[in-house]
Amino acid sequence: MESLKINDNINLYYVPMKKLKTTSIGVYIHRALSADEASKNAVLPYVMKRGCKLCPDSSAVAKYLENLYGASLGTGILKRGDDHIIYFGFETISDKYAPDKEPLTADGIKLMMSVLFEPDAFDDETVMQEKKNASDRITAEMNDKRQYAQLRCSEEMCKGESFALSRLGTKEGVEAITADELRKHYEKIITSSAMDIYVCGDADINALGEEIKKYTSKLNFEEANIVKTSIFEGHGDVKRITDNMDVVQGKLSMGFRTGVAADSADYVPLMVTNSIFGGGAHSKLFNNVREKLSLCYYASSSTVRNKGIMFVNAGIEFQNFEKAYDEILVQLDNVKKGDISDLEFESSVNALINELESYNDDQNAIQFFYLSEKIAGTNYNIDELKDKISRVTIEDVKRVASNIELDTVYFLTGKEG
Amino acid sequence: MKLNHIKNNITGEEMYYGKHSSGLGVYIIPKEDYSKTYAIFGTRYGSVDSKFVVPGETEATEVPDGIAHYLEHKMFDQPDGSNVFDKFSKYGGNANAFTSFNITAYLFSATANVEENLAALMDYVQSPYFTDESVQKEQGIIGQEIRMYDDSGNWKLFFNFLNCLYQNHPVKKEIAGTVESISYITPEYLYKCYNTFYNLSNMSIVVVGKADAEKIAKVIEDGVKKNEPFEEEIKKIYPEEPKEIAKDYAEQSLSVAMPLFMMGFKDTDTGYGGKELLKKSIEMNILLKMLFGKSSKLYKELYEKGLINNRFSLEYTMQPSYGYSSIDGESSDPKAVYDAVMGEVERVRKDGLDQDAFERMKKVMWGEYIRSQNDVEDYATTFMQLLFMDIDYFNYYDVYKTVTFEDVEKRFNEHFVKERSALSVINPV
Repeated sequence: MESLKINDNINLYYVPMKKLKTTSIGVYIHRALSADEASKNAVLPYVMKRGCKLCPDSSAVAKYLENLYGASLGTGILKRGDDHIIYFGFETISDKYAPDKEPLTADGIKLMMSVLFEPDAFDDETVMQEKKNASDRITAEMNDKRQYAQLRCSEEMCKGESFALSRLGTKEGVEAITADELRKHYEKIITSSAMDIYVCGDADINALGEEIKKYTSKLNFEEANIVKTSIFEGHGDVKRITDNMDVVQGKLSMGFRTGVAADSADYVPLMVTNSIFGGGAHSKLFNNVREKLSLCYYASSSTVRNKGIMFVNAGIEFQNFEKAYDEILVQLDNVKKGDISDLEFESSVNALINELESYNDDQNAIQFFYLSEKIAGTNYNIDELKDKISRVTIEDVKRVASNIELDTVYFLTGKEG
Repeated sequence: MKLNHIKNNITGEEMYYGKHSSGLGVYIIPKEDYSKTYAIFGTRYGSVDSKFVVPGETEATEVPDGIAHYLEHKMFDQPDGSNVFDKFSKYGGNANAFTSFNITAYLFSATANVEENLAALMDYVQSPYFTDESVQKEQGIIGQEIRMYDDSGNWKLFFNFLNCLYQNHPVKKEIAGTVESISYITPEYLYKCYNTFYNLSNMSIVVVGKADAEKIAKVIEDGVKKNEPFEEEIKKIYPEEPKEIAKDYAEQSLSVAMPLFMMGFKDTDTGYGGKELLKKSIEMNILLKMLFGKSSKLYKELYEKGLINNRFSLEYTMQPSYGYSSIDGESSDPKAVYDAVMGEVERVRKDGLDQDAFERMKKVMWGEYIRSQNDVEDYATTFMQLLFMDIDYFNYYDVYKTVTFEDVEKRFNEHFVKERSALSVINPV
């Protein structure tokens, strides 16, 4: 990966991936997650995308992209610990494949820069439309019950901390935004946020850097850094929450505190621990809760790196709650005791390495990988992380697992009666 | 097995392919510098194939709905009691399988030990082992899979839509069957389906990514267990499907945030695969984007009125035996969206299609094709799906270049007929 500092806030990174037929650009604007601005951040990029100096309205943006052989411009809101990230992504086929030798990547960066630094859609009507869409996105989170259960578990678990805030803000917060406030918010954050731009594929980083500077050199920036997230400390007693909804399958989500910080040396053993416990078809949860007891179609675990949390999710019959809950804890105990076969251990390590190596063939995955390393503050590259994973021992896993404690149990169940 | 080699000078892609004497089709697309290899071993057999005549028999066989998917799950049990996933895990391979309406496929991706993983794939897909006990055990797991879909608004939306369009075609039935239909599945039924559809002459294997074609071909050849190709085709029996739709509207209440809608048109120009089908799908995709895509007049109008949001997608689905176009998304007023779409179709019928939009969308289709070669999993899966429709995806350009504005105009008039349209809605509880 090559890097180029545009100014104190903005870094440009280039990952050459010429074997792929596309070039993609990701812009990540880092904000500290807070109740004050979460809703504004959640509406902002959708308004910015609606029109800019280069393409005055969304039809013009769409036509511009279609002429680049169906290039895409997307936006989204991410949450990594307390880092609230406004994201813009562009992807085009690489210049080499343009039938008439059009400079597709250069045209793409021009559009992105105009959207970022020359947005022109802060009128009442556009802002009102995007507020409605932002509010609908909040309501729509209940549609996927599997994700929703984990979201609710996380919210209840971290109540009172900024991590409990939704990346999408709140309906009330969105409702209260005016067009004028949103424009001011834009003007404030565009020059006072850490911003990372990743380019993957086939591009000339220096030429892109020059193009970006054309836009940034006119502005005065105020230095900013990525927020540091403190890990979850937890409650003493296990917190138990049940929600009722009109569903036929129950969703169990269990939140555990790991005590492992994102940049801790124990993070890598925690990755292996999670893989053994519930990280795929080789894991204890899959082989016992699903295969042995036939209690569910899915049962898996995952970690939230920046917050020191691990979640277990399973979809089960309402009346099987106790059985599934007990078995999940039995399996965690087995990991803690080091009751792990060579095959389980080896499979878990191999699965992690396989996944890491796969990132080399996927431009989005590689961006997320480097971004995650940067936020954690470790800045490992793929080979370094692979090497660390391959050196983890069962003793490391036992040590890390022994600190994992159940904190919150969430169950989404049917309506009574 | 003799391997043929071809190179596509426009895309730079290379392919090695051949047919094993067992009838197995082999396609290898090496990708230079890739870390990953993806292999997919599939059969032309999916959820719609519940009635068929086994080659050599005269009577038709009818099996319970959901059996293709059930069989897929049960292929993971091995005669020696071992777990298939363990073998792949040991070699760092990530194994999986899926069943669709028309295909059952077994696959893995790996960044190391490709030959070992491939040998494991060849081995387990050719080692059926079903007992009363193991078949019984799966009812709980698949039962939960079905229940999971029962809570999925998007899933129900889709099947209710298909039930509007189709009166008899089995594509209207859920892939996994029902809790009741799967209770009739026995080891005997599973063996009958396996011995019919998993004959290698009904199967193909596609490998994309980091690959040494000669070595890969050797592993496949050595992995063939039964070299007894059928001499005749497996006769699949589908009920007669009238041109008319079953009904024009369906609604259901589920726990969703806001109404979901899926609407579209039944394609009655069916019954063929190959180049003709590929050409139709390019025409249909261009048309959908021209009429309802992000730069269209209708999209702008609906979006600005707040009738649709960012979750709005257009699709044309093709198979030799059926086809349909679909538009889906979220809306506070699905019927207003439906009416606006019909209004736009009528307006275009009067005013004509826009030539500039055609040129842009043809460019978009080229970009989509080039982009589809990036991801080894998507590429191999698409390649196999099209292969089973007798479409040569590798030489897409040969068909793509023949698509004209006049073709698209003709297709527009044939396809977008109000009487063959339907709307499915999922309302919040």
